[in-house]
Amino acid sequence: MKISVRQICFILLCYNAVSKMLLYPTVLSHYCGRDLLFAALIDFAVQAVVVWAVSFLCSRTDKTFFQLLEGTFGNIFARIIYGLFALFFIAATIVPLCEQKLYVHTIFYDTVPPLLIFLPFFFFSIYAAGKKFTNIGRSADVCMPIFVLSMIFVFSMSVLEIKWNSFMPVLKTPVKDLFGGALGTVFRFAEPCYVLMFMGHFKYKKGDAAKMTFSYIGGALTVLLFLFTFYGIYGDIAQSRQFAVSKISLFFPAIDTIGRIDLIALYILEIVMLFALVLNVQLALHCVMQCTGYQNRVVLSLAVNAVLIILLMVFDHGFNNLHTFYAKWMWIAFAVFANAIPVLAWTLRRKER
Amino acid sequence: MIKRFSVFIYWAIMIALIALFFTNDYGIVDIHKSAIIVAVGIDPAGEEVQVTAQLALPQPSQSGENVQYKEVQGSGLTVADALNEINSKTGFYPRLQFCKLILLGEGCQQHELFRILGCFYRRNYSELTALVAMCEGKAQDMLAMPATVNPETYTAVQRVLSEELAKSANVASVNLKDIAVSNYSESEACCMPYIQASKPGTSQSGGNGDNVGGESAGGGSQSGGQSGGQSGGQSGGQSGGQGGGQSGGQSGGQGGGQSGGQSSGQSSGQSGGSASGQSGGEGQPVDFTSRKTAVFTRGKFAGLLDEQQSFAYNILKNNIRLAVLPCDSEGIHYTVGLKNTTGGVKLKVKNGVPELTLKFKANAQIQGVKNVMRPEEVMYDDVIQKNVLRGAEKAVEERFGSLIKMCVEKDCDILGAKELLHKYNHKYWNTFRGDLLTRMKVNYDVEIISHN
Repeated sequence: MKISVRQICFILLCYNAVSKMLLYPTVLSHYCGRDLLFAALIDFAVQAVVVWAVSFLCSRTDKTFFQLLEGTFGNIFARIIYGLFALFFIAATIVPLCEQKLYVHTIFYDTVPPLLIFLPFFFFSIYAAGKKFTNIGRSADVCMPIFVLSMIFVFSMSVLEIKWNSFMPVLKTPVKDLFGGALGTVFRFAEPCYVLMFMGHFKYKKGDAAKMTFSYIGGALTVLLFLFTFYGIYGDIAQSRQFAVSKISLFFPAIDTIGRIDLIALYILEIVMLFALVLNVQLALHCVMQCTGYQNRVVLSLAVNAVLIILLMVFDHGFNNLHTFYAKWMWIAFAVFANAIPVLAWTLRRKER
Repeated sequence: MIKRFSVFIYWAIMIALIALFFTNDYGIVDIHKSAIIVAVGIDPAGEEVQVTAQLALPQPSQSGENVQYKEVQGSGLTVADALNEINSKTGFYPRLQFCKLILLGEGCQQHELFRILGCFYRRNYSELTALVAMCEGKAQDMLAMPATVNPETYTAVQRVLSEELAKSANVASVNLKDIAVSNYSESEACCMPYIQASKPGTSQSGGNGDNVGGESAGGGSQSGGQSGGQSGGQSGGQSGGQGGGQSGGQSGGQGGGQSGGQSSGQSSGQSGGSASGQSGGEGQPVDFTSRKTAVFTRGKFAGLLDEQQSFAYNILKNNIRLAVLPCDSEGIHYTVGLKNTTGGVKLKVKNGVPELTLKFKANAQIQGVKNVMRPEEVMYDDVIQKNVLRGAEKAVEERFGSLIKMCVEKDCDILGAKELLHKYNHKYWNTFRGDLLTRMKVNYDVEIISHN
């Protein structure tokens, strides 16, 4: 087996959480104001059900998703679906990648040309994407304690500044805006696909579906707590504050005296963010390999990352347009690939365990 | 071959990447080459704004005094234009990460607040932790004044806006985030401290214990004490709170009469000046006070809260540790210390009438009495007579009343009544949102009990 359930649980918890700490809170505040928690709750509830459905499917078969597709529809169809999944994972990487670039540039290196400072990321990405699921799991093992420590650090510096009544009155945002917010940000939720791709690559034991689902819920609760902190601090001006994770601990009294010590936690958290980001690239590469049958990981990694570099350059100055497009239309792709297909995987012909 | 060295390659790349990310210096610039903006003063000049930046200029030094402070000015149609000019003069990258104080000149009263401050909120131009205050006269003049308490003007101003002072209800200290959150709430009102400079060693009498400052440093009007507007001879009562007047009461704070206070101030200012270079420019050192509060409604200046109104606002909104309240009872003046305070504002709609309740509870102890001290009575200072407690409650209620009157007259909801209506009585929001301040009934729930 290439990956363990524990490692998948870590991925569903910490990668899930860190991927939603930059612009997601800002955008959600813009759509839903003080009811942002409910919009997030809608998305997380739907995804949690799908994660449970996929992880429970793993209890019914030892096959990978590719083998299930192949066994039901034949090899060509399976390759086509995996090809589409490769495109989906690349599409799911672009916005987080641009966000990361903006974040690193704005918060860490404001005087250096942004593209130049971010391009070294691709050395890491090319190397990591060429690795197998075993390495994905090991990375998760490394990231989990880092994530826990840095989040404790950031939250403890922020909690005193929260205004608890910022969320009153509750649920007065028009339903249209609430669901608009949930739908407009759904392109950040690809976690069910991760479980789908890991299917057949880990040894399922009784209760593992619950473990994975609860891990996902743990990640969701972390994000909800984060949203609560962010909006509780900034209230109605939250929508004007970008890169939320770097903004919530600013008001810690000691920062005035000893400087931005919160940046230490942010740098550490950045490591987890990069591993979370590169997971999409790793899975895209996995899908390309299954689709093409070409097994040279180095070449494929170079190719996939080259595509990402080109896309990053294309959207270097068009992030707003890209984000608007994703918010408006990409929910369709995510509804199909991250929700519908994982649930429909139950209908595939499988060998009962 | 690659497999054999893969672990080393992996770690080499990881270390290189981590090194790349850690090449940043946590925001600290090369201190020997840069000028850091620590405070900015903003004055409108017609359609333009003049921005005065107080710069910290790091200097190599063996003596430990390694920072000089200078003022540089820029102007433009926006604050960002002006800052760009300043940055072109100083060579510092145009961001204000180290700016801890934004001082608005009196001229800003004629302008939309968030047109002037807007640039501080855009993107990541500056953090929202910088303190904001309005000052008497021009901000550029105030930043150029040497201060008695600290060689750097911005530090001296920061001291009168400090959190510790806010905990004694002497200042309504706010930062950029606070005023934006207040202004963009349903109440559409915000406030900031109003800073005045006065000549050291002077204090204006006639404030019934709420004396502030003294002779204006600009040589103009007498700033302190007038706003209190109450008559009555003062000498002993003020000395504890202000540390000095022209009478004998100042001796504890200033170490002598007026002349003594001035000479002390001058010498400290001069020594400070030499230590820190050009801080505060030339001239006589001044004292800063910020017990008045500038209030804004819908982004426009609405007026000034005097010392009593500011005190009332502060004990309701701030987390107070020890507030000093002057009050009278049976013809005797008392200075009462208030500890373990809880204050707040509540709004409920009863029988179709919105009722605003200003709640304040505190434990009191006597700090000063305007009569002859008797040793056998001092031990009972923590056990206060009921008539003194009622006098203190009455003083607090009077201050609340004065604050409410000001809010209603200026249509300025700094107590957040509309926000409370929106948050906790939402079904009445559309009914009362337009004229809540004039229609609401105000109740005072003030309870001051003896400390022991």
